[in-house]
Amino acid sequence: MEKFEIPQESNATLNGQRKVMYGINESGKFERVNYASSAEEFATQTAIEEFEQLCRESLERIQQEISSPIEYFMYKNRMDLPTLSSVVGMFSFRVKRHLKMKHFKKLNDKILQKYAEALNIDINELKDFTQ
Amino acid sequence: MNQRFEHAQFAHCESGVVSTLLSSYGLKISEPMAFGITSSLSFVYMPIVKISNMPLIAYRDLPKNIINNISKVLGIEMVKKQYKDPIQANKDLTQFVQNSQLVGLQTSVFYLPYFPKDMRFHFNAHNLLVVGKEENNYTISDPVFETLMSCDENELTKARFARGIFAPKGFLYYPKHIPKDINLSKGIKKAIIKNAKALLTPFPYAGVKGMRKLATKISKLKVDNNERHIKNFLTHIVRMQEEIGTGGGGFRFLYAAFLQEAKAYNLDKSILQEASELFIKSGNALREFALLCVESSKKLERFDSQTIANKLTEASFYEQEAALLLKKL
Repeated sequence: MEKFEIPQESNATLNGQRKVMYGINESGKFERVNYASSAEEFATQTAIEEFEQLCRESLERIQQEISSPIEYFMYKNRMDLPTLSSVVGMFSFRVKRHLKMKHFKKLNDKILQKYAEALNIDINELKDFTQ
Repeated sequence: MNQRFEHAQFAHCESGVVSTLLSSYGLKISEPMAFGITSSLSFVYMPIVKISNMPLIAYRDLPKNIINNISKVLGIEMVKKQYKDPIQANKDLTQFVQNSQLVGLQTSVFYLPYFPKDMRFHFNAHNLLVVGKEENNYTISDPVFETLMSCDENELTKARFARGIFAPKGFLYYPKHIPKDINLSKGIKKAIIKNAKALLTPFPYAGVKGMRKLATKISKLKVDNNERHIKNFLTHIVRMQEEIGTGGGGFRFLYAAFLQEAKAYNLDKSILQEASELFIKSGNALREFALLCVESSKKLERFDSQTIANKLTEASFYEQEAALLLKKL
């Protein structure tokens, strides 16, 4: 039987949990074994860091009055434009406009409330956004 | 019906949930069997469909394939429900739990509070089982975790009604009737051949050809001034393979385990053995491929697109060989 290795490294993103995969035991039978892969850890962390960087870049753009706080909270919730659009139930071209500060300033409370719910925050966090 | 329920940890959420669900309703079926008999091994690379700005890459068939196919293949009557109203969905769920009836749910990982924070992304096709309720908390058997988990009903409802790609819409399922005389051997042969054909599909974005398509895409990557994109792209492939795809070529090992199990059902053992070993080779190649991707994204100056692409192509040849063998069954 072809042998293969079960990675037994560490993976901090699982926070102490252990996942299983199929491996071959001594008698040549398949069984489930615990594993931890550092490649998986690195990939997950990269994805998280990417969102953190997007957040930081968004904050800079908010300071320059280019982007709106919606954009910041979108990245903070690990969402992208299509995901946010479907959560608030609006067309993505419309949501895209709302990510710009000049369109954001004209939004009424009803629409802001929708965003606040989708982004799991209070409406005031959008209205009086401070970093 | 729940007396026979036993929580177990599995390699893949959907096959694991189906295995536990059917076993507790009286049909003993292992995870590899649930995965294999529904012909779930696949590879898909869809550059047009984007997830967080990255192409869709999957190492198995689309979500819900196992749930939808298991009833067809084995003649099991499944109840599948989707809801418009979250309150009604939660009421129904409570009713099932009070009748101590085991049900499966489709949820979004992002809204499940018991997941570690780092694992919570907007992935909408996570399957779990609900086994009990105490006050406002459901007891959940989640195949990713070692023990039973607890989840507040509001949070669970949120997870069931997450939107976006593969939106669950409160999807709930359980078997209604399982026939007494299930003949697995006939279904297994059919499923293996169907899966082999699917891997050999002429459609260029799926199966063996899909793997080569992705390899070509990787070989054309150039580092100059878009380092961030390359790093994200390479780790995205690894995430789709490892995090969502269970440990390297996890699905390949799962399928190899299925082929071993299939030996007990009156099929050509030598073909099954050879194909099973080929899938292990492919799984190994995919693990090395993932390691290469990670290494390159850590040190982009050492990024060698051709080596990485070749590794993926190598895996695709093992799978082609295995599929050609299995087609002859």
